[in-house]
Amino acid sequence: MTGRLRPGTTPPARSFAASAPRGYRLRQWLKILAVYSAIVAALAFFLFPYFWMVASSFKSPGDVTAYPPVWLFAPTLENFRELIGDMGALSALRNSLIVVGVSTCLALIFGSMAAYALARFKIKGKEAIALEILMVRMLPPIVSVIPLFLLARQFGLFDTYWILIAIYTLMGLPFVVWVMRVFIQEIPRSVEEAARVDGCTRLQVLFRISLPLMLPGLAATVVIIFMFAWNEYLFATMLTSSAAKTLPVVAANTVKPRGIAWGVASAAGVLMSVPVVVLALMAQRYLVRGLTFGVVKG
Amino acid sequence: MLAPTFLVLMAVGIYPLGYSLWISLHDFHPSNPSFPQGFIGLDNYVNVFLDEQARHALGLTVLFSVSSVAASLVIGLGMALLFNQRLPGLAIARTLILIPMLVTPIVVGITWRIMFNPDLGVINYLLELVGIAGQGWLASMNQSLLSVIVVDVWQWTPFMFLILFAGVRSLPRSPFESAAIDGASRLQAFFLVTLPMMRPVIVLAVLLRAVDSVRTFDQIFMMTRGGPNMTTDLVSLYLQRVNFKFFNIGYGAALSWVFLILLMAAVIVFIRYSGFLRDAAEKEAQ
Repeated sequence: MTGRLRPGTTPPARSFAASAPRGYRLRQWLKILAVYSAIVAALAFFLFPYFWMVASSFKSPGDVTAYPPVWLFAPTLENFRELIGDMGALSALRNSLIVVGVSTCLALIFGSMAAYALARFKIKGKEAIALEILMVRMLPPIVSVIPLFLLARQFGLFDTYWILIAIYTLMGLPFVVWVMRVFIQEIPRSVEEAARVDGCTRLQVLFRISLPLMLPGLAATVVIIFMFAWNEYLFATMLTSSAAKTLPVVAANTVKPRGIAWGVASAAGVLMSVPVVVLALMAQRYLVRGLTFGVVKG
Repeated sequence: MLAPTFLVLMAVGIYPLGYSLWISLHDFHPSNPSFPQGFIGLDNYVNVFLDEQARHALGLTVLFSVSSVAASLVIGLGMALLFNQRLPGLAIARTLILIPMLVTPIVVGITWRIMFNPDLGVINYLLELVGIAGQGWLASMNQSLLSVIVVDVWQWTPFMFLILFAGVRSLPRSPFESAAIDGASRLQAFFLVTLPMMRPVIVLAVLLRAVDSVRTFDQIFMMTRGGPNMTTDLVSLYLQRVNFKFFNIGYGAALSWVFLILLMAAVIVFIRYSGFLRDAAEKEAQ
């Protein structure tokens, strides 16, 4: 997001100058107090559910449904043990890692190539092509899940990695293409031309010169497409049954007609959210760029 | 270099859509003796317009999206301005506040359903602590829609905030100084300087959020499955039932297409009237 403040682009942030006259100062302190209370309130609202989920995941079956809720309890790993043992979370974790990993790489490679072509070459109707790619993002998954289900059956791809990899690659492409296009346009042509003069091919220029220059921004795009694929549920549940089942499906399976296994469900939530939260917070400086398809600079 | 992208786009994007269009013109119903044959023309589309339930679902979806996007815009903008101060600790708070948008929607649904539990949930417990009687939340017909909107606002306001905060940070300083010299109050400065200058960012954030909110499925599927008594039965949930419970696949495809076309139309109208294209053109010209 925003790093250090650079001179010239200093935003109209209000500074609470201490050099103000005395009566004024009390009002300033009250204002700071008001700002902090508002921020604490916002933090409480946005963080409490996550905190509650993490706490519940370490509670014993008796503690998790206790009323009034218990705040101090003896932590247990029972829920995680059940998640891995009975729910088959380990194989789902492996499936998730394979499917999401491969599709993220494919989206990145295909998307970079397309973005490079759209940014650097003269192609007829390239704005239309770029928009078309963006439109994919708008398509509600519930609309395309049935045809994809029927096609997967027809081609023997049902309950395999391939069908999910293909879908998640498509889901990631709009982000990669759009964000990369903006990044590529920002790289001076002269750098690439120098490499061309030195005997690099177009692809070599892309992978040896341009990509390394875009790496930091690219990292955020990777995190974003990883996140959307990692969290995807509808396709995962409709297009797999057992062999290629991913983690969101396991998480959803903790909800049974009789009720929810509160502790195990929370444990699944913790298991699923930790990688994304860690990755995204690490790349947060660039998240805005990625999430707005390169339009808004962070 | 465009070839791989095009291949994926065609195979997983365009082809299934075309297939769905074909299905929508058929009596595609696994229990139909002549399955999957039976060309019936536009009958499925006619049924969409006669279907009371579909209209109900569409109305709910609009209500859900508009309220959720509006609420997250107001809260997100307020937070963007609130966090735009030079005070210690704000950077960490800003980072932590992003967590909700990173959590798997399925998990969000389950967690909130646990917290919303009328008898054992922590939300009613906290309310009772401050002397408010426990509510029915997801189980109550009057509060179920409100509850799922609260969850959507919780999850996606950080997204709004993230984009709007970037917008606030990139505002130039001089217009605010001029406004101050001209004697504008804080409120005047906000409505006459901040908002107009933020318009392109706000429009973009609203567009991205709105397009996503009408597709919301996972959280609500985990929380209510459209109930109680269809009070949270958005189009995406109704479609799920049509397809996977009634197995009326042909009708589901037609309903999908009607929904898709309405969505496209709404986006085009929004883009036209929000000055989105004008902003983009101005940016290009600079």
